[in-house]
Amino acid sequence: MVDVSEAVKGDSKVPICPSIPSGEQTVWANASSLLHLACNDLRDGELIYGENFNLFAAMSALEIMDPKMDSGMVRTYYSVDEAIEYGAAPIPLSLDKTVDVQRIIDIMDHLLACEATWHKGCSLAQTVFSCLYLLRPDRTSSHALLHSYCRVMRATCNAVVCTVSDTRTNEEEDLFTMTHGLPLKVDGDDKCLTMLHAVEETIARQLRACKATLSKKRVTEDIEPLQNNPDLEEGLCKSLLCQLRFRKHFYHVVMNIKRPQGRGLELAKKHIACCFEELDSMIKSADFLRSISAPEDGMKNETTASGCQPVGFDSTLNSRLSAPTPPRAIETISWKKAAEYFQKLLHELEIICSYNLDPVFEGLLRFVVEFQKLRPELVARAHLQHLLVQDGKLYGRDSVFSVICKASLLPEVAKNHDIQKIEPVVQLGQLLITLLRVLCTNISWQRRKLGKILQDWRIIHVQLELAFRKECGDISATSSNENICMKICRHILIWVEEQTYWIASRFLMLGFELDLYSPGEYCMVYWYMYIILIKLAEKTHMRAMTSNDISKKKGKKKRDLVKEGGKDYQLPPAILFLQCHVYLAEGLTMMLAALRNERQMYVSTGPFNTEHERFVQHFELLLKACLPDHVSYYSFVETTAHAHLSNTAMYNCFKGAQRIAKELRSSFSNDPDKMAELRRIEQVAEHNSVALGLISRLGAVDASLKVQFEFSHHPFFATAVVKRS
Amino acid sequence: METRSENEPEVDIKASEIKYLSYGGEHHLPLIMNLVDEELSEPYSIFTYRYFVYLWPQLSFLAFHNGKCIGTVVCKMGEHRGTFRGYIAMLVVLKPYRGKGIATELVTRSIKVMMESGCEEVTLEAEVTNKGALALYGRLGFIRAKRLFRYYLNGVDAFRLKLLFPRREPEPFDSMASVDDESHEYNEHIHCGENPSCCQHSM
Repeated sequence: MVDVSEAVKGDSKVPICPSIPSGEQTVWANASSLLHLACNDLRDGELIYGENFNLFAAMSALEIMDPKMDSGMVRTYYSVDEAIEYGAAPIPLSLDKTVDVQRIIDIMDHLLACEATWHKGCSLAQTVFSCLYLLRPDRTSSHALLHSYCRVMRATCNAVVCTVSDTRTNEEEDLFTMTHGLPLKVDGDDKCLTMLHAVEETIARQLRACKATLSKKRVTEDIEPLQNNPDLEEGLCKSLLCQLRFRKHFYHVVMNIKRPQGRGLELAKKHIACCFEELDSMIKSADFLRSISAPEDGMKNETTASGCQPVGFDSTLNSRLSAPTPPRAIETISWKKAAEYFQKLLHELEIICSYNLDPVFEGLLRFVVEFQKLRPELVARAHLQHLLVQDGKLYGRDSVFSVICKASLLPEVAKNHDIQKIEPVVQLGQLLITLLRVLCTNISWQRRKLGKILQDWRIIHVQLELAFRKECGDISATSSNENICMKICRHILIWVEEQTYWIASRFLMLGFELDLYSPGEYCMVYWYMYIILIKLAEKTHMRAMTSNDISKKKGKKKRDLVKEGGKDYQLPPAILFLQCHVYLAEGLTMMLAALRNERQMYVSTGPFNTEHERFVQHFELLLKACLPDHVSYYSFVETTAHAHLSNTAMYNCFKGAQRIAKELRSSFSNDPDKMAELRRIEQVAEHNSVALGLISRLGAVDASLKVQFEFSHHPFFATAVVKRS
Repeated sequence: METRSENEPEVDIKASEIKYLSYGGEHHLPLIMNLVDEELSEPYSIFTYRYFVYLWPQLSFLAFHNGKCIGTVVCKMGEHRGTFRGYIAMLVVLKPYRGKGIATELVTRSIKVMMESGCEEVTLEAEVTNKGALALYGRLGFIRAKRLFRYYLNGVDAFRLKLLFPRREPEPFDSMASVDDESHEYNEHIHCGENPSCCQHSM
């Protein structure tokens, strides 16, 4: 490295350039001589270091002519026009009509593979728009079949880009909407369906004529066949028809699903059913296409059903458009995988279309959480978000304040109250919208964002409390003649707290789904989950009680209320459901602590730090947001230090979970999701209960006993597996 | 960045036969570059290597067996939003030499220097599929702080691993926790074909 100051020594006079006016602290100077000197001093690969030369700058440097970095190295043509000039995208694709049709089907297949690759995170320029035919819209006009297909393809991509850009669900996946320089919006593409319909009609007639000829019926109309080989006519017509119809229905799906207030969901659902059928036909026709082609041997990643290389694609031409950083070679996924991807996507869109636009916020949250379990890719998630939040309203229909009122179990009349206009309430509305958007992002990003917005929810609670006091006076006192304003304030405050703990619990649970915890950390994670879940249950219960005006129990310690469920007051099923989770978390905490205390298993040690540091790192966002108040590493140590296998209380935790889960079955018989969760809870509880008994009985005498924790029955509550080594 | 150190013992050697050297100058640069080019998937230009080894030569180490360079670690450290933080950029041990504790030794040496230099924490990224590296860093006390979606060019997710050093003097807890702000993280987040602006959205 060369320090610039070294070079300056040799030529201290740098000519000031008078033609450019100087700023307050800057002066423009001609640095040519300085640069020249520095260059003479530099050898290949050396660089001048400046303070602003950071890792980003270092890594943005390219080595010209290194094929790993210089995307310009590997390319066949310099421009689209040159590629076309050299015959890379002929029209017609062949003078032999049969070959022409076969090649078009290959293009359609490859475009499907490209589209799926794009949806999975590559740039549009390097995938769908690697198709030379799509890049020159006018050129295809003489070929009705190809032209109509290209039009619907562009229109579909454009519709999907619009949905994703509008929703901005693509936080980490921003290559998706990068369309600069691509002919995505072409005049006439909006009428693509008319054209597609005409082409489809012609081929349907050709198919009918062909079938009539085969069954020796009289042909009523004189129709020119699709191509020249009568043996292949039926198969090729059928193959083309399912391709065109798939495109038609898929376009209808993406257009209808985004109509305001979910008005197009029913129609979209019908088209999804058609898409499934046509996709099925496409998969079935693969054998036929393969049998009539001569697939090239050794094509490792077949992007066409026939196994032939498609004509008219060049992914290197657009690489400069794909991203500001050096574009890299991408691998298009296989046609088979693309078909599977579309089946998954359609299934997810079908679930969105079947959603009942639940006005109850709790129900909506459960729907989104269940939906995310399918691990939907960006396009499906963007469509979900588009449905949930439109024009700042839930489903484009319900004002945020009315959603909050309903969620807080307030009477209908509350939603028109003027208090919704005060600043903290408006901000609360924005937080709610943000939460919905975050819940639609990929779960990696989601967890990080949830961790951060916890702080916002804590702050808004404080701000609301202050503002409410100003508006309505003392809201802590409850009396029979409490006015509506006071009622709104009290309900909303409880709901905000409950929501905050819900976010915290989701944050912790997602850690399991993302594999962020190692077995040595399970104990502290379950402990934290345990205390968060208790708070969540407590707040949920308070909300229910406030609305039922069961204020008599107010003086009682809240924690006891949840723990003593069933003694003198029957807790509502929703609280008991949470209680199952509380019991599982507590049981696992104590079991892991006992294994650590007595058998030195799952001890978390390292040469550079202690468990304390790991605790702080894992929960820093929760601790910073005081969730809950006064909790620290020492509270964890205190709870777990004396855990022993012989302790029967922890045995009862699993038993307790099992008992409540069984009892709750009748309360949730109409709710398949909750029933499934109850089954999972029972399984985890039962297995752990047995395992715990086994370890405490045999553990002392059999040192070879090994305990492993697996997630075979539940995504985040582990099951202990006991083995002899 | 990347780490490669899976457990596949193939060569019969004794720990005492391995010599560890701190980065000693220009003659070591091609050795590091060759190892990384050979074993890691991400392409790095010579400027990236120079950036690290010239600014923080004391954090880079090489492992030799019979005169042959068989492993290396490349790191940096600096201010990162109010925290003095070490960063392990690359760690490579040649396949036949893995599973012998060489990677652990290399990385331990770097971490010790970071600790002595006043770093409060150390971070790195590793592929979620790289079980060997994850186990190695887990043993050293790193936690998986975040998962980074499709971080690498090959589409694989990464874990951001973090090691927090104990505080030298006990202080009230509140000042300890610092909330990450992702909009500033691009400096360690760029080699995956993502542009810096992708981290600048805020919700």
